[in-house]
Amino acid sequence: MRRYYEILDRANRGPYLTEEQWDLEKVAMTTRHLVEKYKLSWNPSCILPRDGALADAVFEAGMELAESLGVYCRDTKRVIEFDPQELEAGLRRMPQTLTMGEGKDQRTFFVRGIEDGRPPLIWSGNAGAPIPERYYLEYVMVYAQEPIVDLLNPGSLTTVDGFEVRTGGPMEIAACRREMEYMRIGAKRVGRPGMPILAAASAVSALGDVAVAHPDYMRPCDAHLVPMLNELKMDNGNLARAVNAIEYGVRNASLPCVSVGGLGGDAPGSAVVNVASFVLSNLVCLSDFHICHPIHIRHVATSTRAVMWVESIVGQAFARNAPCIMVSDIFPKSGAMTRELLYETAANAIVNTLSAAHLEGPAAADGAAPNCSGLEARLMGEVGHAVARQRMTLEEGNAIVLALLEKYEHIFARREGNPGLPLDQVYNLETLRPIPEWQSMYEEVVGELRVMGLEGLPVP
Amino acid sequence: MNDEQELLRRLRQAVIDGSKERSVAEARAAIEAGIDPLTLLNEGLVDGADEIGASFQEGKIFLPELMLSGIALKAAMAIVTPLIKDRNLPGQRAVSGTVVIATIQTDVHDIGKNLVASMLSAAGFTVHDLGVDVPLNTIIGKASEVDADIIACSALLTTSMPYMRDLVGVLEATGLRERFKVMVGGASITPALAEEMRADGTADDAIGAVALARKLLRERRG
Repeated sequence: MRRYYEILDRANRGPYLTEEQWDLEKVAMTTRHLVEKYKLSWNPSCILPRDGALADAVFEAGMELAESLGVYCRDTKRVIEFDPQELEAGLRRMPQTLTMGEGKDQRTFFVRGIEDGRPPLIWSGNAGAPIPERYYLEYVMVYAQEPIVDLLNPGSLTTVDGFEVRTGGPMEIAACRREMEYMRIGAKRVGRPGMPILAAASAVSALGDVAVAHPDYMRPCDAHLVPMLNELKMDNGNLARAVNAIEYGVRNASLPCVSVGGLGGDAPGSAVVNVASFVLSNLVCLSDFHICHPIHIRHVATSTRAVMWVESIVGQAFARNAPCIMVSDIFPKSGAMTRELLYETAANAIVNTLSAAHLEGPAAADGAAPNCSGLEARLMGEVGHAVARQRMTLEEGNAIVLALLEKYEHIFARREGNPGLPLDQVYNLETLRPIPEWQSMYEEVVGELRVMGLEGLPVP
Repeated sequence: MNDEQELLRRLRQAVIDGSKERSVAEARAAIEAGIDPLTLLNEGLVDGADEIGASFQEGKIFLPELMLSGIALKAAMAIVTPLIKDRNLPGQRAVSGTVVIATIQTDVHDIGKNLVASMLSAAGFTVHDLGVDVPLNTIIGKASEVDADIIACSALLTTSMPYMRDLVGVLEATGLRERFKVMVGGASITPALAEEMRADGTADDAIGAVALARKLLRERRG
């Protein structure tokens, strides 16, 4: 604990910089230099590269970026710097197994490898998306009832008893506690009361995070997010989340949402920033595991070529150089009741499973709307399990992903996106079953995927 | 290519390359060569800015290049625009509007806001970027101080969006609503939500935000 307080103190005493200096002169320029120094490049037709030297170079460049820069504290405008020994020690401390949840629903995360034959754990929900209170409980149950789903990820409540929730306001406390009540009740109603939960999606400020640190809400065996801001930044609110977890004991998930096409530039630079973010988050977020969630600067979705390449190369870089528990996010552009959602989910699940990660999502429609369902979560899990069990290679996976991109990439050119329909229009919320049209679409796509090479997928 | 075209090309290229030093030097060289400042603005700076914006939209360049071009453009415009303002010439393509931009209080997400700020700068607007988690009164105070044409604010978090509605409400309550155009943005903002907030508009992306800002500026200035 004292050790972390010393790191917090650096945020008050480190070198002073304006945020513009940090962004442009430090992050952007240093990353650009490292991309040139390590001769990093990518090929948009090779989303899943088998190139150990490239993965190692990305890792080395990320370590150098972390050593050169440290982390910027937005509130104090000072840099939290680390020496190489501290960063190395942080890597050595990364847990290799991590148990979450309770009883028969308990799950143990493990470090996955490249082309690992062990199925990934499946963490599902429309992460952080606004979910109407009137069907929040049903929302939880349509995910929790899927046997392939191991862990739950909540959506956000924007109203409680009809009253508006505002970030940082008193109602955020009510929203976070209500959300966790729904999560626990929903899991219990489908007979899985001990399911681990990533709590709480409504905790958009530290206030909400502190509000649920009680066994009735977020149990010590659950996980919560300690986000890192773009790029390589923290603020007092997010540092407070880590402090809150020190004595309480909940699992800390680092979440740096590196912007691909942002300050790191193209995909290689963004991968370098992502590696540095994880390396530094071991120390500033007190990470127990990492959530890999690069976002596309224009399209947001993780299912773009560039973002999937970053997810793959970052996963491979850590698997080869500093094995740790990594959970890679799937945020498709499309929403429920669209074929593209299923194609995007499948492509992203193949990439992440082959690249040493567990799976989290899918947060349909960019996670910006309740246009989601349990069906795409089922598909994500089934694809992840099939990829592992049939011992798919990177090359085989790449071929399928390229074929899937041809089926969905057009949606990125649509100004209106491809939002699909909300949960209450694609599921019967009394029976908790998909409407026939959505079920048929899923079955057809599963059939297509089997023909494409995912023969390990169960026949619906 | 004659001398004037060559000088304009070099100025354009300096902006595209994001070189502040070169854009200033090329702007000065062009003025000394007697090129009409309005031509400099339209065919040197604005064309360069438009090309950068299009390249970003097509994924050919990325945020650092966009930011550097914005800085280069701003530096050159500081030299060129006073000459035009003095002469009050018609046919000016470039805008000299002022925008105060911020991520609204309680929200710390700034990718979209930074992108719009960079694109507005690159399009010739004077942009005062107040950062993230900015209280309403700070935004309104800054807009009043710099006599802004437009207040642009964003919220990614659904639960931070109500504060943008409050911003419009405070402007109305204090009699300042007619003084500023208000743009709102964020992943979950739709035109219907913008209308419900009584804002003057929203856009799907940064390019759309520039078009909207230009439209609002024309409306404001009649």
